[in-house]
Amino acid sequence: MSTAITDPNAVDVRGVDKSFGRFRALDGLDLTVRTGQVSGFLGPNGSGKSTTIRILLGLLRADAGRVRLLGGDPWRDAVALHRRLAYVPGDVSLWPNLTGGQAVDLLGRLRGGLDRERVRAFTERFELDPSKKARTYSKGNRQKVALVAALASRAELLVLDEPTSGLDPLMEAVFTECVLEAKAEGRTVLLSSHILSEVEKLCDTVTIIRQGRTVEAGTLDDLRHLTRSSVRATVDGDPSRLADVEGVHDLAVDGDRVTLEADHDHLDGVVRHLSSLGVRSLVSNPPSLEQLFMRHYGEEPAGAGNGHGGETS
Amino acid sequence: MNALAGTGHLIRFVLRRDRLRLSVWVIALTATVAGSIPALDDMFTTDAERQGRAALMDTPTGIVFGGPGYGLDDYQLGPMLVNELTMTLLIALAVFNVLHVVRHTRAEEESGRAELLRAAPVGSGAQPAAALITAAAADLLIGALVFASMAGYGLTAADSLAYGLGIGLAGVVFAVVAAVCTQISEHGRTAAGTAFLVVGVLFMARVVGDVSEPGGNALSWLSPFAWVQQTRPFDGLEWWPLALYPAAAAVLFVLAHILAGRRDLGAGLIATRPGPAGAGPLLRGMFSLHLHQQRGAVLTWSAAVFVLALSFGTLAPEVETMIDSNPDLAVILGGDTDDLVGSFLGTIGLYVLMGAGAFGALSVLRARAEESAGRAEMVLSTAVGRTRWLGTALLVAVLATALITVVGGLGLGLGTAVTLEDGAWTGRMSGAALAGLPAALAFGALVALLFGTAPRWIPLVWAWLGYSVFATMLGGLLGLPDAAMRVSAFEILPTLPTDEFDAAPFLLYLGAVVVAGAVGLAAFGRRDLVTS
Repeated sequence: MSTAITDPNAVDVRGVDKSFGRFRALDGLDLTVRTGQVSGFLGPNGSGKSTTIRILLGLLRADAGRVRLLGGDPWRDAVALHRRLAYVPGDVSLWPNLTGGQAVDLLGRLRGGLDRERVRAFTERFELDPSKKARTYSKGNRQKVALVAALASRAELLVLDEPTSGLDPLMEAVFTECVLEAKAEGRTVLLSSHILSEVEKLCDTVTIIRQGRTVEAGTLDDLRHLTRSSVRATVDGDPSRLADVEGVHDLAVDGDRVTLEADHDHLDGVVRHLSSLGVRSLVSNPPSLEQLFMRHYGEEPAGAGNGHGGETS
Repeated sequence: MNALAGTGHLIRFVLRRDRLRLSVWVIALTATVAGSIPALDDMFTTDAERQGRAALMDTPTGIVFGGPGYGLDDYQLGPMLVNELTMTLLIALAVFNVLHVVRHTRAEEESGRAELLRAAPVGSGAQPAAALITAAAADLLIGALVFASMAGYGLTAADSLAYGLGIGLAGVVFAVVAAVCTQISEHGRTAAGTAFLVVGVLFMARVVGDVSEPGGNALSWLSPFAWVQQTRPFDGLEWWPLALYPAAAAVLFVLAHILAGRRDLGAGLIATRPGPAGAGPLLRGMFSLHLHQQRGAVLTWSAAVFVLALSFGTLAPEVETMIDSNPDLAVILGGDTDDLVGSFLGTIGLYVLMGAGAFGALSVLRARAEESAGRAEMVLSTAVGRTRWLGTALLVAVLATALITVVGGLGLGLGTAVTLEDGAWTGRMSGAALAGLPAALAFGALVALLFGTAPRWIPLVWAWLGYSVFATMLGGLLGLPDAAMRVSAFEILPTLPTDEFDAAPFLLYLGAVVVAGAVGLAAFGRRDLVTS
């Protein structure tokens, strides 16, 4: 059912502002999702993730800036564009007197086509009991209903707003599988999430926002290069001179054991110096997404990383 | 743990949360009474005027909305107040108590907030106790203020006290009725519906009893609506019927307590059953979804309105008998017997329109609930546009309002036709109800208009509905000026079957309703969706 894809970007948001009364929810936000990729969308609570997604769905209108979704204007062309996407809200609310199965079928029909075979398959994979009334479902089960409806849809674009926040680890693994399959089928995924390991596993690119602004965007590799690796080593020689080596930060020496943070551009020099001391063991870890994330949220808002705005690899 | 632990805190919490709501109810009800006393006193200054009014109260319509008719022989200010105000006060109190108790018990459980409280050192009975105590306090305060306004105007203190106390205690009984109903269903909405149904049956019991026999028969005595007037204030006061209120409240309270002990938090006595694993062929679009969500309510309201209207219709022979036995009455009221039956039915027809109008407003209001809950967000992220989403919701509201209106008219006509053995009434009353349809649709249309343009102001619709009901029920009696009467949605069109149908105002009114709905629909397409 996917129509010819001409646009290289499934989502293209540039400098979008949105205020609610006096509260400025988005402040020049940029977000790009390339067609066929899985893109992570990160930010603390209240940073504007859901607002951005609602603008992309044409539920809210941007005050300023440019918003393109699947080559169209999500406010004006909402219905036509919605035939090509599926959405899972962060807090799924269902009709209390419909069963989960009825809700899945209904959402499929409203989207413009219901593939019963796919619905059955995903219902089984997520171990959803479709005959229970929605009012008896837990948060996780309500999320499964929305996920089954979205994944079964064959939509070109999946917009997922914290879709796993209520799922148990087993179901999270099923979800990861399903997203990877969707990607293999050539579908585009925008995944807003708090679970960094999930984003690391699934996402080609990541956009980090804070207080309605994009603070970091690019592939995970790109982002890692902007920061430091942590290095742990045991050496024979005296490690104290390491402090003078360019690119070394947070050096801690405990006898013959050393831990330090090294700038990526100077990693080579650091390793050479270590090696000259006689290395008995060496572990180097790239920064985890968590470290990246913390770096942005630990510090004050003062325009952190504003220069990287929105350019993906 | 003590089942009532934490009740004190919860009472303060209820009072804090509802300080505005409670004040409005107390002030509105007591102001109606305090304002009516001088108004009635000024309006009926001579014995002749008062006896003319008494004759009117002796008609079936008078008995339905007045009472069993004590003190009509010498219709002074005291008996007049008791006859003219009691039903309005009691119906308003019933609405207040049911809404208050459901809001603070079942609705809290349904939302999950009760779970949060029950996890704190709060006993299992604390929440219902706090709801009942605050409701009872408000009822008794209203009763005390009613007493104060009557005694303050110079009416006999003992009779005023009995009347005020009776009004307050009747409110308490309605609160306990609601407490029983909240135990049965899992849903606040259903619980309130059940409670209103019980209140309606109790009201009808008094009406049928009182119409059948002057002073009421055994059926009247089954209803708390009757007891306050059976104390006969200002007409040979008897205190003992007031004892029926605490007795009934105690019995119902024990019943609620027993039922509560048999269920878990959040569960109803009637458990939820599993349903179909997939949507049937009928559930395929927005119209069918809206309809599916409301079918239970539409059927319940239609059935309730039909039964009420039917039972009012069957009173028609009593109207005839009454007029035959008292030819003076026909002279006072003017016109022939058919006209008098017609004017009785026309008045009841207005109440059918009130019911249908309230349902229409509630029906459109569901769109608001869908939006706040986030279900609209999910549906609007599919290939459903704003116009289709709200448009189908409005269509369902219009059809349901029309259905309730027609069914009410049909019930009224059918009851009359069967008892008078004159089949023409069925068509006549169905037509009469339809002729008032724009008034019933007006409230839903206003909700739609505000929903699209300024959702914050939707509560204004309830103010208008409340005012319209008040003006239509009491406006004539209180001598409201024409301009003020015209603000009532029910006073804009002629009342059939006594008045002639007039196409021009009908079409104009209908046009205004359509425009309001269309503006709301268009505005909704242009505003941001609000999800709480």
